[in-house]
Amino acid sequence: MASSSSSSKTGLKKMLTLKSSDGDEFELEESIVIQCQTIKHMVEDGFSLIPLQNVDTKTLTKIIEYMKKHAEKTESNKEEIKNFNKEFVKGSFDDQFELVSAANYLHINGLMDLLCQSIADRINNKSVRAVREIFNISNDYTPDEEEKVRDEHKWAHEGGEFDESLD
Amino acid sequence: MGSSKSDLRSAIYPEPVDHFDNLPDPVLLLVFNKIGDVKTLGKCCAVCARFHSLVPQVDNVVVRVDCVISEDDNDHSSSGSGSGHKSLHSISSLFRLLIKPFLSLTQLISISRNRCNNASSILDDDDNDFDHLEKNCVTHHSPTQVLKNFDEIKLLKIELPSGELGIDEGGLLKWRADFGSTLDNCVILGASSVIQSNNNSTNLVYEQCGGNDGNGETDDGSIPESFYTNGGLKLRVVWTISSLIAASARHYLLQPIISEHRKLESLVLTDVDGQGVLCMNKEQLEELRVKPLSASSASKRTMVPALNMRLWYAPHLELPDGTVLKGATLVAIRPSEQPKKEVVGGDGNWVAGAFEEPYGRAARMLVKRRTYCLEMNSF
Repeated sequence: MASSSSSSKTGLKKMLTLKSSDGDEFELEESIVIQCQTIKHMVEDGFSLIPLQNVDTKTLTKIIEYMKKHAEKTESNKEEIKNFNKEFVKGSFDDQFELVSAANYLHINGLMDLLCQSIADRINNKSVRAVREIFNISNDYTPDEEEKVRDEHKWAHEGGEFDESLD
Repeated sequence: MGSSKSDLRSAIYPEPVDHFDNLPDPVLLLVFNKIGDVKTLGKCCAVCARFHSLVPQVDNVVVRVDCVISEDDNDHSSSGSGSGHKSLHSISSLFRLLIKPFLSLTQLISISRNRCNNASSILDDDDNDFDHLEKNCVTHHSPTQVLKNFDEIKLLKIELPSGELGIDEGGLLKWRADFGSTLDNCVILGASSVIQSNNNSTNLVYEQCGGNDGNGETDDGSIPESFYTNGGLKLRVVWTISSLIAASARHYLLQPIISEHRKLESLVLTDVDGQGVLCMNKEQLEELRVKPLSASSASKRTMVPALNMRLWYAPHLELPDGTVLKGATLVAIRPSEQPKKEVVGGDGNWVAGAFEEPYGRAARMLVKRRTYCLEMNSF
């Protein structure tokens, strides 16, 4: 993984340690980590070792990868960041939803936006059945209830082709 | 956040879990807000009860209108025909000297979008139009109906299936208008033709351009004499009026939506062609709620106030990406009387910021040229 080489700030870099729920520790520059609001507040409170009980090593590794890349963001590498983001959301659903939970807990707004958009894109234009299958959502309506809800939003179910595919 | 992680569970029970179960409501709502598309949101309601309970809280909605009825679709409806003509009369009386362009204006503003096969939403929920439409469409739902269950909308974007104004093949006409109770400002960018950068015969482009619009006169930022005589100016006036009519008609249609969605903070009405953009921000929406619009006496649109217009023209405008606009024209319009709101000031901002690139650049280039001022009566 690319490390701190990009940061060209002078002076000593303040380092922080993040500890995953599996007990693994990651040492990072403060400037990278403060993208995360939760950690930023802890840093302001004087913490330098930050235990993250809700984030496992696998998820934290991904999140650090994201934060490092986005700390490099400048005017000139917009395209590169865009491509990075595109690749970043390509993981399995299990991983993605773990990431959403973690990003939500850590308050990394940019990452939340990215992940939620990616999930939204999977829902867009899909049929009701496809959405249920893609995300493993069980239908908790009785047939009558479902009929009623569909009737309430009739305009959403008629006209146009809906995507039944599961990708 | 729940402390029970799905890792363990999925290790014991390999069967997949409902991914959303672990997400708190605010996160799921964030996902729905990213969806935007009202049809998808409507379908989401049928997925499960939790979705159904959250969808009405979505604050960012995009309505893609499949079908619109225009006032000038009057072939079938007797009620519509009168108003269409009247609006033309009022305009032609305004510009007596320029009668001729109004024949083409008829073509310009006659919108025929009557053919709506599977229409599921239309913009106008007027009863007359309803009857009229029933003959052509299976069912229709106005945005007001579609948005009925959304009580929390802050950002609403409505996209029409196409722009109202017919323009010549290869030409360009874009407008952006901001409205409160009435027109606050409008910027129009037009060109008699656009030559894309992949056309590498640059010399030819220059020649054609000189012949048509510039007559080879030296380009000192002024409008060449021929512009007044060869119909160039008339065409620009037609563009301007047509754009203002389209904008004020769109504004008129938004009234019921604005009155029903009190939390709206931003309303944008665009079209798929990218021709016109009507915007209303929080203050402007509030203004309309407090002070209802005045309708034009002639037709179903908001009255356009007396206007000051500034016009910039370039016979040949080459953009940095190589695209060439022939007969490029920029018109910046504000009401003659605009109390309290700051006058001119950061002109470059609202004029140049009106369009996306590369057209924003074109506007910035045009503003540097000589400015011509015009006035127009209310209509």
